[in-house]
Amino acid sequence: MYFDPNEYLLNPVISVLNWAVVVGCLTFVVLFVSMINLFATRGAKGIGIFFDELGEMASDLFHLSPRRIWALTRLTYTEAIRRKALAVFVVFGLLFMFAGWFMGDTKEIKPDQVKVYISFVLTTISWLTLPVVLILCCFGIPEDIRLRSIHTVVTKPARRVEIVLGRMIGIWLIGCLVLSVMAVVGHFWIVRQIPAESQPLLTCRVPVYGANIEFIDREGNSARAGVNVGDIWAFRSYIEGATKARAIWIFKNVDESFLDSEGNLNFENSFSAFRSYKGDMTRPLFYDIKFFNPAKNLAYTTDPQPVNEFRHKLDKIPNKVTVDDVQYDILKDFVNEKKELLVEVSCIDREQYIGMARSDLFIRMPDRPFWMGYWKAILGISLTLLLITMIGVSASTMVKGPIAAVLTFVIYFLSLKDNHQFMDQLVFGRVEGGGFLESVYRLVMHMGPSQELPANPAFSVVKFFDWMLNNFLWLCRHVIPYSQYFNMPEFVSNGFDVPWDTSILPSLLVTSAFIIPCVLMGYFALRIRELESK
Amino acid sequence: MTNMTSQQRKLIYLIGIVVLLIPIIWLSLPSDGKGAPGGVLSQLRSKYELGEADLGDVDASSAAMNFALLGMRGMAVNVLWKDLDQQKDTKRWAEMQATTESIVRLQPHFERVWDFNGWNLAYNTSAEWDAVPDRYYWVKQGAKFLKRGVERNKRSTELYYRTGKVVQHKVGYADEATDYRKFFVNDPDPVFKGGPDPVINPDGKDNFLVAREWFEAGCARELSRPQHILDRSLFRSTPARCLFDYAQALQKEGKFGEETRAAWDLARKDWTESYGRETFHALIGPEESDIMLEMTDEEIKQQAGTPDDALRVRKAVDAYQKMTNYRYWRTRAFAEAEPEMAEAHRRLFDAKQAYKAQEFENARTAAFEGMDGFDKILKRPEYASLTDEDILCEECLLGWKIWDDIYQVSGDKIPEEFPLKWLLQMKQENQMIMGNVNKQFKRLFLDNK
Repeated sequence: MYFDPNEYLLNPVISVLNWAVVVGCLTFVVLFVSMINLFATRGAKGIGIFFDELGEMASDLFHLSPRRIWALTRLTYTEAIRRKALAVFVVFGLLFMFAGWFMGDTKEIKPDQVKVYISFVLTTISWLTLPVVLILCCFGIPEDIRLRSIHTVVTKPARRVEIVLGRMIGIWLIGCLVLSVMAVVGHFWIVRQIPAESQPLLTCRVPVYGANIEFIDREGNSARAGVNVGDIWAFRSYIEGATKARAIWIFKNVDESFLDSEGNLNFENSFSAFRSYKGDMTRPLFYDIKFFNPAKNLAYTTDPQPVNEFRHKLDKIPNKVTVDDVQYDILKDFVNEKKELLVEVSCIDREQYIGMARSDLFIRMPDRPFWMGYWKAILGISLTLLLITMIGVSASTMVKGPIAAVLTFVIYFLSLKDNHQFMDQLVFGRVEGGGFLESVYRLVMHMGPSQELPANPAFSVVKFFDWMLNNFLWLCRHVIPYSQYFNMPEFVSNGFDVPWDTSILPSLLVTSAFIIPCVLMGYFALRIRELESK
Repeated sequence: MTNMTSQQRKLIYLIGIVVLLIPIIWLSLPSDGKGAPGGVLSQLRSKYELGEADLGDVDASSAAMNFALLGMRGMAVNVLWKDLDQQKDTKRWAEMQATTESIVRLQPHFERVWDFNGWNLAYNTSAEWDAVPDRYYWVKQGAKFLKRGVERNKRSTELYYRTGKVVQHKVGYADEATDYRKFFVNDPDPVFKGGPDPVINPDGKDNFLVAREWFEAGCARELSRPQHILDRSLFRSTPARCLFDYAQALQKEGKFGEETRAAWDLARKDWTESYGRETFHALIGPEESDIMLEMTDEEIKQQAGTPDDALRVRKAVDAYQKMTNYRYWRTRAFAEAEPEMAEAHRRLFDAKQAYKAQEFENARTAAFEGMDGFDKILKRPEYASLTDEDILCEECLLGWKIWDDIYQVSGDKIPEEFPLKWLLQMKQENQMIMGNVNKQFKRLFLDNK
């Protein structure tokens, strides 16, 4: 796996607190602005109107009727079907009919090619369902207002918050229906495309990663990282062979459940090799794994193992090991009282290097069936659909359809990994060349990012303006979700099961976090706006 | 118009479409294959070989993809190139290959795309892997990719050359060349059951002979479509140079029998009788002449007409012979036909093997005999020019290095006089030659270790 699972970690407590602060501030701003507006237009009476409205809104929220919501959901659902939402299946069908043409030869499938197949299916499903949901949720309410058909609903004893909720649930359900059909077809397509002899490659490995990785340099001192061998991608750090350089993993909560049916601890690695000289190219580089317990002064080292670069290498470590003719039990003698197992990896070959990152060594638990991970990935897509639906519907209560669609798409686009990270870099000043105005000036004047700007008042204004924009961006960064949490297909296509703590839980939390603000915003906008097309 | 109903307007649009379609159909009417040339557009397409089928094999999926993207091809290609770069940096090779496939489907007739990606797979990606069979797999992927590029772009001269170059240079001259050359004939992938990969080597030939075929095809194409890689005289020397590479490779692998002698003989004939007799339009400053690299004085006089012209032609022949290293390879080919030369090669090869096997006394004797053999040949006036070329000098000096090292290690006194001392003195300031000799020696030492 070439991504760091750490990246996806989310602290639930801090996240909930953050959420409360952001939603609280947003609610306060909206209510405060409304109150000031009413005061400005209606005088002291406006304050009374504000509190009356607030009371009614609270009453609406506390008197929701599931029956009415369900009726509105069905209405939305029927409307979506009438608007030919299911026509997306035609594109889907066409893509899958001809996909085989573009996927290369299936006669000799290698493990990393399976990744391409799974990735193709899940990406196609995502990119076909997202636009359908986006269009449905952004154009539904504005169209109803334009055609005045919304009056047939609002004149019924239905609360406006129920209209918003009914829309959201209805559109999400139709999204889920489309998604489920595509997912079933996609699953069969994958299984059919992979030849029988390569079917074992369709699996979901369950890794237990070390809590962290520590490095020791060639002199035996603790180091922040290993050697950088000049890779552009600094994901891995390298340790030098036949020196004191080591990488140490600490695995926590190690107990009997980590053993396989034969009583082995399965360690899987994907180390990388780097040669400072080529030497005998027919001989691979070697590493060994050492288990040690400093409290008992015990250490067990495996035989040298060849590096199997860019592939997975499984080392089965028996629970019973012999050190100096005495038999020890890894779980009893090497796991310390904190239930931690210390594992040290070293490179055997002189002047050669082995590269590793935290996720490059893990304990492999029994695999889960492929379908399990696949459907978890589908769950991730369905949660993305829900998120888009909520944002889209609440946006469509405020602005017209096309604007709502653009707004929702931009929010989604900014939530993607690279874009969100770029936003982070801008906010934290890690992008060379300054903010918006400064970079425009540099572009026009052909100035490099490291060149100093002339010192004059005009540039102070530019910098101040950029500072303001940056602060606005800071706000956006906290409101725009990080959709990488939902990227469960990445785990499955890399042959892993989708983990609860680093993927499913964060994505559920993020989705839940948007429910209350989106419903409230949609309701608030629908309540205060005039339901007439102009 | 404003009084028209919607139906009437639609009818007028339909009539307009049909009216406009008539000239378009007439202009692009295809040929019936029985003599009628078809419409003007069809004729122009055939004349300038612009039809998809004229450019190379038709790939239905590529055409479908381009069609489906409508006008968004450029944007899609940009995104794919960006992805490719990122996948390469993060070492996601399978995805990178899949992206490469998508790019060539979108840009099937952009030769540089095939060239760049073929090189990327054969040279950059292969070097990222540690195991030699893995490296070879990616070299093969690069060669296969370029071969597909040729099939899609049959008019391209340069892609023939690039394919040949990977098979010749990457397979034959990489650090892992010994293994690659074996794998080229006996692929390590069990799928091929010990035989060659039929896609790049259907007849199970030596890599240099396969490369020669690619270069020959490139030279044939070059007659109708010029290339922009090398000077024409160098470009057209590539098939013959492959034969020299082949002969040298046989020697390097310890084959000194009839097969090697025949290889040198074939190379000499191809060099002097085929390549040497090709006509090149030589440009030396403002002067232009049609020359051959193998030209007698009589032929020069005949072509020139006047003594001044003869001088100009002779000057051009000389300049082109220097540029293509023509005289060296001709002399070398003649020298290699000498039994003493073959014996000298054999003894130096024995010296290397004995050194690797730590049989130092045998190695010292064999190295000395090899050095002595070369000393005698290189001192002959007709072969004196062989010292101008690095490869042979490096072989000779590697023999000296082994001989000298054994003396150093054993603590024996190195004799004052020894064969090839003069060559050592001549080349010891040449850092490139001495650097290569030391590098080759270090490899022997590491093998020994």
